[in-house]
Amino acid sequence: MNVSSMTNKILPTLSTLVYIFLWAPAIILVIFSFSNNRFGIKWEGFTLQWYFDVANTPAVRDALIKSLIIASVTVIVATIAGAVIAYGLYKYRFRGRGLLRSAILLPMVMPSVVTGGALLIFFTRALHIPLGYLSVIIAHITFSIPLAMFVILGRMQRIDWSLEEASMDLGADILTTLRKITVPLLLPALIASAALIFPWSFDDFIITYFVAGVGTTTLPIYIFSQLRFGATPVINTIGTIFIVLPIVGLLLMHFLQKKK
Amino acid sequence: MENREGIPCVELRNVIKRFPGVTAVDHVSFKVEQGKIFSLLGPSGCGKTTTLRLVAGFETLDEGDVLIDNKVVNDIPAHKRNCSTVFQTLALFPHMTVEENIAYGLERRKFPKDEIKNRVGEALELMQLSGMGKRRPSQLSGGQRQRVALARSLVLRPRILLLDEPLASLDRKLRKEMQTEVRRIQQEVGITFLYVTHDQKEALNISDTIAVMAKGRLEQVGTPNEIYETPRTMFIADFMGATNIFLGKAIASGGREVQLESEDGLRVIALENKNIIRSREIVGISVHPERVDVLAENTDLEADNKFRGKIAEMSYQGDFTEMKICVDQVGRVITAHVSNEPDQKARFSLGERVLVCWGRHSSSILVG
Amino acid sequence: MAGLRQRVARLLMKQAHLPYVGPVALWTFLFVIAPLGIILYFSLLSVGPLGQIVPSLTLRNYLGLFEGAYAVILLRSLAFAFGTNVICLLIGFPLAYWIARCGGRWKTTLIFLVIIPSWTCYLIRLYALKTIIGHTGLINSILLSSNLISSPIDILYTPFAVMLGIVYSWLPFMVLPIYAAVESLDATLLEASEDLGATPFQRLITVTLPLTKGGIFAGTIFVFIIALGEWLVPLLLGGAKVMMAGNLVEHYFIRVGNIPAGSAIAATITAIALLVVYLGIKLGGQEVLERVT
Repeated sequence: MNVSSMTNKILPTLSTLVYIFLWAPAIILVIFSFSNNRFGIKWEGFTLQWYFDVANTPAVRDALIKSLIIASVTVIVATIAGAVIAYGLYKYRFRGRGLLRSAILLPMVMPSVVTGGALLIFFTRALHIPLGYLSVIIAHITFSIPLAMFVILGRMQRIDWSLEEASMDLGADILTTLRKITVPLLLPALIASAALIFPWSFDDFIITYFVAGVGTTTLPIYIFSQLRFGATPVINTIGTIFIVLPIVGLLLMHFLQKKK
Repeated sequence: MENREGIPCVELRNVIKRFPGVTAVDHVSFKVEQGKIFSLLGPSGCGKTTTLRLVAGFETLDEGDVLIDNKVVNDIPAHKRNCSTVFQTLALFPHMTVEENIAYGLERRKFPKDEIKNRVGEALELMQLSGMGKRRPSQLSGGQRQRVALARSLVLRPRILLLDEPLASLDRKLRKEMQTEVRRIQQEVGITFLYVTHDQKEALNISDTIAVMAKGRLEQVGTPNEIYETPRTMFIADFMGATNIFLGKAIASGGREVQLESEDGLRVIALENKNIIRSREIVGISVHPERVDVLAENTDLEADNKFRGKIAEMSYQGDFTEMKICVDQVGRVITAHVSNEPDQKARFSLGERVLVCWGRHSSSILVG
Repeated sequence: MAGLRQRVARLLMKQAHLPYVGPVALWTFLFVIAPLGIILYFSLLSVGPLGQIVPSLTLRNYLGLFEGAYAVILLRSLAFAFGTNVICLLIGFPLAYWIARCGGRWKTTLIFLVIIPSWTCYLIRLYALKTIIGHTGLINSILLSSNLISSPIDILYTPFAVMLGIVYSWLPFMVLPIYAAVESLDATLLEASEDLGATPFQRLITVTLPLTKGGIFAGTIFVFIIALGEWLVPLLLGGAKVMMAGNLVEHYFIRVGNIPAGSAIAATITAIALLVVYLGIKLGGQEVLERVT
């Protein structure tokens, strides 16, 4: 490409600096989670002690379980709902289509504080439902549906929809066609959106903080409460897992895809 | 901007350009005469576009020299060479109007505003686009877009205009019209055109000189007539449609006559001409299908090349009928294009036995 | 009964989209639209002396935003949103451009390396940043031990830290739409521009920027809105010294329990956000909408 020689040197340098900027804090955190130092970040020897500590803390285990349950339910409901709405939006033209799409995507564009707060007020003052698993799951689903819809809609362009028509032409009714043709066609998209939603829900802090109330301590909320006591190796440890796991998961998915 | 007689506008001297795994331009040398249309013709992958880009300055060569007006320009960047390119995709700026597109180059060179207005107006007139100035490229037809692309480059009055298959995306009818347009415009403006195409008919139609390329090498340079009538190599003959190719050895050559014995035993006669490179070995003879006459079997006629056979295939092509005649005993197929004019005396049918013949002037000698 | 079934069947045929669209539309109305509506409603109420909601409509909450400390906080949020936007643009555009035009085979890997950090837990990333810039953090440790400074410098709990945190968190969301826009740019347009005599700078101004402005506006809108409502970054990295609008909302909703006041601020943030989206689409063209969604 014809880039002038000046930018040839500046752009790569700038870009490298940005990459360092984006990755350094995370990498340092990971490194020091293995450090044999209780406070701060002075390296004093390699240790896995903090990991054992974390594994043996009941509060952490509870929070982990809560996060897993919420994320699992969210993934299932949101993926299905996202697929359904994506299908409807992709295949049909109707009045208010654009408006509906914008409304669904609204939570993705608004600051979390606003949407979290709005849901909090809505739950407590309008619906009068107690804050807990239900409120968190509802909130998570509300935020995951646009994500699922976005991913699935994106992939719908590349699908050969004439297969549906062929199926019905050969005599299958609409339910059978959906079951045997449509869903398998959409499966890669569904998996992709599930792969995005699960970590999002698991990692989410702000919205959960607003609608969780007392007693529903997910893992991020637990971490937050520990932050009040300053930096501890426990946070480093959990943090490392939070960083490393998604990356590993991504790489795995990438190589599995390549194999196909 | 007048060129002294004899100095080529563009010259390539032994230019080599390599890409990983392939030599795209292999020892290519040619001279482009000032004020003419010079075409680079060849199949895709033959190196013609790369050659064009070397002249334009979008690629850097590995060996050899590119000269513009007798000056070596190897190290001069694209926008400083005095040439302008019309891209295959036209590359009209979608966010600008026709006028803004045409004015673009002039604005970059900081021409005064009235001068720009004048030149743009002139260009619109020359291209018969007056009144379209304020439209966007998306609102124009294919032919109109072509003309805007031409105008945008020509308005800068470059020494040489480089065109990379500019008509490739047009349908046949429009393409023929545009070919005439291109010739007309070139003659009016007088600028040297370096034209790249894979379409033989297009090259024959518009060029003053054709250079045929294959696999990075220059196969033959000549006028359209020379390339068509006397293709020098088997590749060129085949590419230009002279599909009757007899490969073999020259057995006798007295005076200017060459006799060839083909691999399947046929004797073919051709006439030498000035294009033959004496030092290269004669490997075959070719003849265009439309030069092959088809006559009734027992016609009494003297002809240099005369063979008997049966019509194996007939295919109606509108202005002519293509016939494939299977020659007796050898089984080789000779293709003939017989005109479908209403006053044609003989009408043949499939399976009929016929006589095919052509004179030595129609044969073309192929060298290795 | 047969009449009803017939009517339902006919309805379904004409509105075949209903079974697919209906449930999610209902959900969206219930849990996206309605809560925002409730907020608007509450923002017009006020709180009585015992903390109960006084059911009379008033604009007092909004008026209160324009005076004293609240105005400062709101203005600061706007300033930060604007400032971080500019920074993200200045950093993000060259980066996106470089990856798209010079990345070659590594394009996808490079852009993924930008996006992956934003997939890990937001809270953890901010915590990591915080530990680096604190008094006992990495930066100060390095500076102290190499004797460049004699006592730790204040990076944490300053406006600079908050800006740093916002840029750190949301830069990828500026890079991505710009990358997509540059990537879909027709390379021959840039070549043609150069062929016609444009210097690289002129090429940038006359061709690249106009044709990528959809992506640029999309990224700008996103970063602006998110930064405007930030809560966690000012909390963790700004301490009590740097309060933004998001902190006020949380303060009123959760700590103080003054719902009308919090609602007013939330509604104001929302209104500004919608205004920004509207302006962005007006200036950037319809394409912006596609890039955001």
